[in-house]
Amino acid sequence: MSDDFHRAALEHLDALYNFAMYLTRNPPEADDLVQETYLRAFRFSHRFQPGTHLRAWLFQILRNTFLTFYRLRERESALAEDGVPAWDAPMFHDAPEESSGAVEAHTDLERALRRLPEEFRTVLLLAEVEGMALEDVARVLACPVGTVKSRIFRAKERLRGLLRDYTKE
Amino acid sequence: MSNHSPESDDALGARLRTELRRYAAPAYLRGSIAEAAEAPRVRPAWLAPALAAVATALVLLLLSIPFLPRILPADPTERLVRSVVAEHTRALMWGARRPEAVPTALPWLTRESGIGLTRFFVGDDRLAFIGAEPIYLEGRRGMALYYRDGDGHLVTYAVLPAPGLAIPESRRVPIQNRWRPALMNESGFSAWVWRQGDLACFIVSDMVSESDVESFKDYFARLRVSTEPVPAK
Repeated sequence: MSDDFHRAALEHLDALYNFAMYLTRNPPEADDLVQETYLRAFRFSHRFQPGTHLRAWLFQILRNTFLTFYRLRERESALAEDGVPAWDAPMFHDAPEESSGAVEAHTDLERALRRLPEEFRTVLLLAEVEGMALEDVARVLACPVGTVKSRIFRAKERLRGLLRDYTKE
Repeated sequence: MSNHSPESDDALGARLRTELRRYAAPAYLRGSIAEAAEAPRVRPAWLAPALAAVATALVLLLLSIPFLPRILPADPTERLVRSVVAEHTRALMWGARRPEAVPTALPWLTRESGIGLTRFFVGDDRLAFIGAEPIYLEGRRGMALYYRDGDGHLVTYAVLPAPGLAIPESRRVPIQNRWRPALMNESGFSAWVWRQGDLACFIVSDMVSESDVESFKDYFARLRVSTEPVPAK
């Protein structure tokens, strides 16, 4: 199954990279995270049950890897040298240029998204951005579908509140 | 600043889908992952059985170590010295198994050891007699007398039947121009070895330094002059 498996897994590279970027907010770390995810997926490919959702399985590996290795580092560097929380710094310095209006709207949404706790951010990225079925999101997060629904609801509530704050500014 | 107002769940979902920029994986990342996927990951088929065999052999070797024959010196004199030193070490650690005050127990000691003492060293101001007991070394019955000097050194005098035992000439040390016993070393102990008729005699102690050797010579002289072992009739 290996060649087919590798080919199928690589089809999800862009989606995984996008998710990794929103988790790590740092391109080199996103590179590392995605690379580690694929290495693990290849190493444990025998554990993947053909017929189940490869995409959800890969996202699950990526998130678990992130939680294991990157979250600890994120916590350690939560405060930058000047005492400003790292998540208030620009998300991606080398993000592609876009039109001025779109960039502004974009930035608000991105800033609001990155201020959400990881479980809220992840659930929105998977369910809304990636368009995953709730069952698959539940598999990635290792929680019941009901919990996913409730997290999506609360994540949107909080996101709305943050966007309202930005609008007032 | 956003030009969107807070909206319904569906509208917010739509914004997330359309407005958030998507990041495509860089080409080099795709390349390195594809390369990793192509790298040979299959272990040689022989590796697992070979490792298992080596591990099994190692375990068997470890289990058999207690049953492997000890490497014994080929020279009978060295072998006897090693045994006498081992006996001395045992006495050093746990004392004589059945110390008997000589001469009250002499008949019993003679009967058990097969060696009689026409006279023996009962101790003096330098060496205090501790006890005596029969011993059995290298398949030979013998006798050991134990003494302790003022510095606390245990001195073991052992006698074993060993007709024709060769005393290594190169190890012989002249003492008082009367005797030429061999001074041998074994496991950190010194041993005088000599023959009296068909009996091999040994004096063992941990006196190994140069200054100790002079005292050790003196102990030899004291014991040798005063002790006369003979095969029991």
